[in-house]
Amino acid sequence: MSIMEKINNLDRRIIYLLAWIFVLFPLIFPLGLPIPISSDARAWHSYVENNVNDGDTVIFSPMYGTSGMPELFPMTVATMKHLLQKDVKIVVLSFWTEGPLVFTALLRQVNPADFGYVYGVDWINLGYVPGSETAMGALATSFQNTVANDFVEGRPLSNFAIMDNIKTATDIDLIISFETGTPGASEWLRQWNTAYGVPMIVGCIGVSVPGMIPYVNSGQISALMPGLTVSAEYELLLQKPGLAVAGVDAVSTSHLLVVLLVVIGNIAYFMTRGDEK
Amino acid sequence: MVDIIAVWTAVFFTLGIYSILYRENPWYRIAESVYLGVAVGYGVSVDLLYIRNQWSGQWSASAGMMLLFAIVMVIGILWYGRFNKNTFYLYRWPLAIVVGTGIGMALRTVIFAQFLEQIVAQTKTPFFVAGNMGTTINNILIQIMVPSVLLYFWFTGTARESAPMKVVEKIARYTMMAGFGSAYGYTVLTRYSLFIGRSQFLLGIPPNDPENQLAFIAIAFIMLASMIGWDLTHKTTPEA
Amino acid sequence: MGEALKRIEIPIVLTIIATLLQVIPYYFDIPVLNSAAGTASNAVLLIVACATFVGVISILQVHGKRVQRRVEGWYFSVLVFVFVIIMVLTGLPLAEFGLGRNNPIFNWVFTNIQTPLGGTMYSILAFFITSAAVRAFKARNIEAAIVLVSGTLMVMGNAPLFTNAVPVLADISLWIRNVPNMATMRGVMIGAALGAVALAVRTLMGIERGYLRGGGEE
Repeated sequence: MSIMEKINNLDRRIIYLLAWIFVLFPLIFPLGLPIPISSDARAWHSYVENNVNDGDTVIFSPMYGTSGMPELFPMTVATMKHLLQKDVKIVVLSFWTEGPLVFTALLRQVNPADFGYVYGVDWINLGYVPGSETAMGALATSFQNTVANDFVEGRPLSNFAIMDNIKTATDIDLIISFETGTPGASEWLRQWNTAYGVPMIVGCIGVSVPGMIPYVNSGQISALMPGLTVSAEYELLLQKPGLAVAGVDAVSTSHLLVVLLVVIGNIAYFMTRGDEK
Repeated sequence: MVDIIAVWTAVFFTLGIYSILYRENPWYRIAESVYLGVAVGYGVSVDLLYIRNQWSGQWSASAGMMLLFAIVMVIGILWYGRFNKNTFYLYRWPLAIVVGTGIGMALRTVIFAQFLEQIVAQTKTPFFVAGNMGTTINNILIQIMVPSVLLYFWFTGTARESAPMKVVEKIARYTMMAGFGSAYGYTVLTRYSLFIGRSQFLLGIPPNDPENQLAFIAIAFIMLASMIGWDLTHKTTPEA
Repeated sequence: MGEALKRIEIPIVLTIIATLLQVIPYYFDIPVLNSAAGTASNAVLLIVACATFVGVISILQVHGKRVQRRVEGWYFSVLVFVFVIIMVLTGLPLAEFGLGRNNPIFNWVFTNIQTPLGGTMYSILAFFITSAAVRAFKARNIEAAIVLVSGTLMVMGNAPLFTNAVPVLADISLWIRNVPNMATMRGVMIGAALGAVALAVRTLMGIERGYLRGGGEE
């Protein structure tokens, strides 16, 4: 069997081992590759910096669970840190079962109290709201009827000063949604953006990015954060390098592996195809 | 001590899933079975809490709402009719209500959000942008590609066999292939980002616990040794 | 009476009423309908939550049979039972009895078992996609070649290693995303929106009944 035929029939466990090596090596021995800042990161940073004004009310929605945390958690943390530097009202909620878990993990890294935010006055956590798109539509018409109690203290929403001026979607100035699938941007667009004109910015996993681009092009989504690499660029713009920056070297080496394998695989294919003919 | 058990448990289950990369094995089956049980149980807990919270809110505010709540609960119980052939028809009632509400909620704005807005954006794309040849070329391409892709999925009538449609088909196919390539590239990014996150956990890179690294090495060694040892002693070769 | 209740027309009528109750108030300002629609959508959320045990019972049925028949690997099904019971019992919303999401066992299991498992399950696809890169991703014809080239350029555009060395790669990948990909997705999105409307109309007319199938009947 020629070397090209061997490549065509390579034991997949060798490929898996290569994947482990190409990812673990830069994590153990950081390469420190420079990270060029893309237009996506600048657009996101600029939107939060210039379009979120003091006094605005923002929905901060981690619409993902443990499966999406590695890719979305860094951008969620970085955006929360950016937001807390402003004087806004933040309503945290999720339509994903594990969304509250994600936010609890975020609180271990970012404490709103450190930024002078008081729970119940400046921010509130409404937790998980079951019902997918139906729940999103119901929440838009009435917060108090859709969510009885807050997630942290389990008390009625009427007990919290922040909810005095938040009754319906018309009281919200921006939705920041981090998501991995459904329910997600399409549902927010149908129930909040189209119905009530609430602007939204979306951070999503790479797989979801192609489907988001038409919305970005039409202006329905005002800014998009597409995946881990751009999260790292955003962390650099904030001058707060975190998990994303720490992982980007491994993104580079793993992508190098994929490119090499595609090239080698195709060379082997064309060479053995000639032999077969 | 409890923290150490927590760390080693988390690493064990992580590596249990990854052990499938070598071959099907009991470590993977343990992790998979536990994941199924925990995920289902967590979902139940969250839903029950929601029902309880809702009762303590608007649904217990008046006698009328309490009666409505009771009716809703009865409808909710009808879901369980699916487990008996004689009562299966009852399962369709709450399903019909849920599906109908979902259709209604989506239908009222899908035409605007995913149809009109996109068509408006397409028609607002100018063919010519003064002083910017790159954007002009891109816009011309978009104005050719989008209608081509739309027409590609037009199956009614005989126009599809005509010569212009053959050209449109080709443009649409090549456009979609380039688009799928973009999807592939982003899929690679996502999958590796998830794996990198787990690797950071296994290596104990902050904010993960450094104890993870020792657990990673030890448990990986035990799992691999057990699987390779089993294969050698039973003279089996895992499928390539 | 019993046979009358089994008629398929009943759930079809329920679907139509539920749909119209959400659509009509959106376009016509009728106060009583507005109120009814709001209450109905909140009621539906409760109905959805009530279905929570359907998954549990289904799992118990499937795995119960495996344990009963002692099929190969039945002991793994016992593990499923154990953890379902642990999470359901400790997660009951009875904070007065120390149960619920603040229960230490519930929290511990979720933090140290569910979280790592959930994060790991989808990450193994990275290995399969890498294996596919060498074994399956071949330029067999011109369409496959286009996918290959654009996919490879996209992969390179997402990695700082490549975009630092060859900065134009970032621009190329951005072009692929914003032009051919955008055109593809826009076309698909418009088509899907039309399809969704058509499906909704068919459902309202009672022609589309796929969601009502099952139970050994029609």
